[in-house]
Amino acid sequence: MPLHNTQYQHWEGFHLGLWQRRGTIALNGLTACLQIKGMRHVVAMCWIAALGMTAALFLIGQLLVADSIVVQWVGNLNPQLQGFARTFTSWLEQHPEVSVRTTQNVLFYYFGTFLLPVSIFALGVVLPVLITRDLASNAIIIYASKAVSRGDYLLGKFCTAFGLLALTWLGPICAAWLLGNLLAPDWRFFWHSRVALFHTVIFGIGSMVILSLLALGVSALSSKEKSAPAVWFMWWIIGGVIAPIAAQTKPWLRHLSFNYNLDQLALSVFRLGDDLRIAQDNVPIFGTMLRNIRAETMAALNSPPIWGAVCGLLAMAGIAALVVVKRVKPE
Amino acid sequence: MASALVIETQSLSKVFGSQRALDAVNLQVAPGAIGLLGPNGAGKSTLMKCLLQLQPITSGSAKLLGREVGREGREIRKRVGYTPEQDCHIPGMAGCEYVTYCAQLCGLPFQAARQRAHEMLDFVGMGQERYRKADTYSTGMKQRLKLAQAIVHDPEIVFLDEPMNGLDPKGQAQILELIQSLWKTYGITVVLSSHLLQDVDRICEQIIIIARGRVLVHDTLENLKARKRGAAEVVVMAGHAELQQACRLRQWPCELLANGHLKVEHKSESLNSLVGLLQELKLAPLELIPSPNALEETFVQALEISHATS
Repeated sequence: MPLHNTQYQHWEGFHLGLWQRRGTIALNGLTACLQIKGMRHVVAMCWIAALGMTAALFLIGQLLVADSIVVQWVGNLNPQLQGFARTFTSWLEQHPEVSVRTTQNVLFYYFGTFLLPVSIFALGVVLPVLITRDLASNAIIIYASKAVSRGDYLLGKFCTAFGLLALTWLGPICAAWLLGNLLAPDWRFFWHSRVALFHTVIFGIGSMVILSLLALGVSALSSKEKSAPAVWFMWWIIGGVIAPIAAQTKPWLRHLSFNYNLDQLALSVFRLGDDLRIAQDNVPIFGTMLRNIRAETMAALNSPPIWGAVCGLLAMAGIAALVVVKRVKPE
Repeated sequence: MASALVIETQSLSKVFGSQRALDAVNLQVAPGAIGLLGPNGAGKSTLMKCLLQLQPITSGSAKLLGREVGREGREIRKRVGYTPEQDCHIPGMAGCEYVTYCAQLCGLPFQAARQRAHEMLDFVGMGQERYRKADTYSTGMKQRLKLAQAIVHDPEIVFLDEPMNGLDPKGQAQILELIQSLWKTYGITVVLSSHLLQDVDRICEQIIIIARGRVLVHDTLENLKARKRGAAEVVVMAGHAELQQACRLRQWPCELLANGHLKVEHKSESLNSLVGLLQELKLAPLELIPSPNALEETFVQALEISHATS
């Protein structure tokens, strides 16, 4: 009599395709990320922030309504603000396509840059789950012995990082855009805000690709679980501190900070200078406000050092890819 | 499939820096239970890894299940199972989750993967511990888990690298029986790399002996034993002295082993002469073991030749 249960059955079913296997790797990684203590709270916080953005979009939309309760409410708070709100409302009513586009573009720039640090933090926390643990436990060998290649594995892990960023960053912003426009008084808001959404998506996807690549690179640096987050946060914080100081003497040094480079990319994509100029021309009160902005700030808004930022980000992504290729091997 | 070759290599070489791990290996292996023998550092694991594309081949070519290694990696690995020598679980995953995930990586849909994972964990004799995280497993449990993940997608060939390491005698017997059943009952070709000769002797039909990256011997176990015919172990209850005396008269070297068996070199291909002698002496043997140490002797001999030629 055998010592064990010998009920072995041959598999007669079908096999899923390659993209589903890659998806399995990505989904498994994302599940592992969300199992990290506190990560679900971070994601929930981002979606709560999305509700805040929706509320902001709703309030702006309400300004278009004649004798809007929002304008009255603002007037109750401060009579001067009511004047500003009425001017703004008349601009919105006269040129909805320009005003909605401009207003939402500025808002989405702030939404994007507001959630970016949260996403960078979340990515830093989950770094060990990406590649580090697989290096430490030799799980790379198991992946390599299954019906997936090294490229499939890396693509799956890349999608894990990208997916997490979608949950903490682009997803909430896009949801806010959808909800905000659903609550708007006019369906044409969807059409007028398309440029703001386009800028958000372009900046979001571009940054998510770069950040995901950087995360894979840092995650593959070491097989020790604490090393990868330490390197990531050091890079983020030191880069953030050095960038403004270094700009005084050697401006190129600030491009060593991925955060700074992403900020410049955002300014370049959203073209805030153009929006402010339009607002200045159409809403007189804006003209007064913008005169108080420093010349350097306006220059930075109008012509951010985009090529330096792009080169910096590409160089970082290239180095990250090299690290990954060098480190992620079965042996 | 049954008649096709499962492994074909031509001048397969693998070089690490200045060290030649595999040196022009030529093999044509038919399906079956195949024992891969060799001392530590002989190139057994490297050969497996080259066939699975875990290591790139330096020169030469190889085919696994009729497909060119290096060109059709994913398709080959879909039909191949592998248990590495070292631990390789994914941290934080329970045993059943891990095996399910491995099945999914080979293309099984989730529901089917989960069902097969539980079947395979039953098959390898894992109980409720499958719901525990694999990080907490004992060495024996990890070996069972490795075997389960290697066969969960129903491969045509399984490479097992030292699967008995760290197992207690009972666990060894169970796993060995499982491995044996893979070929004998379910028709899955097994390539077993081990330095435990008695395990290989028990379950394998073909033997490949490797040393210093070269294939020294590749033959069926039956043929290897045939070469060593002329010796047998006789187990008798009494009459050891009589038998020894009779062997001496016939000039057959005879030795009393520590386990009480008598090793007789009767110098003929069949056991008839020895059986005749036992009948003459009116001794009823409890057991007659022909060519008892054929594999060990072949192994040692091959290594000696290898050392002498190098």
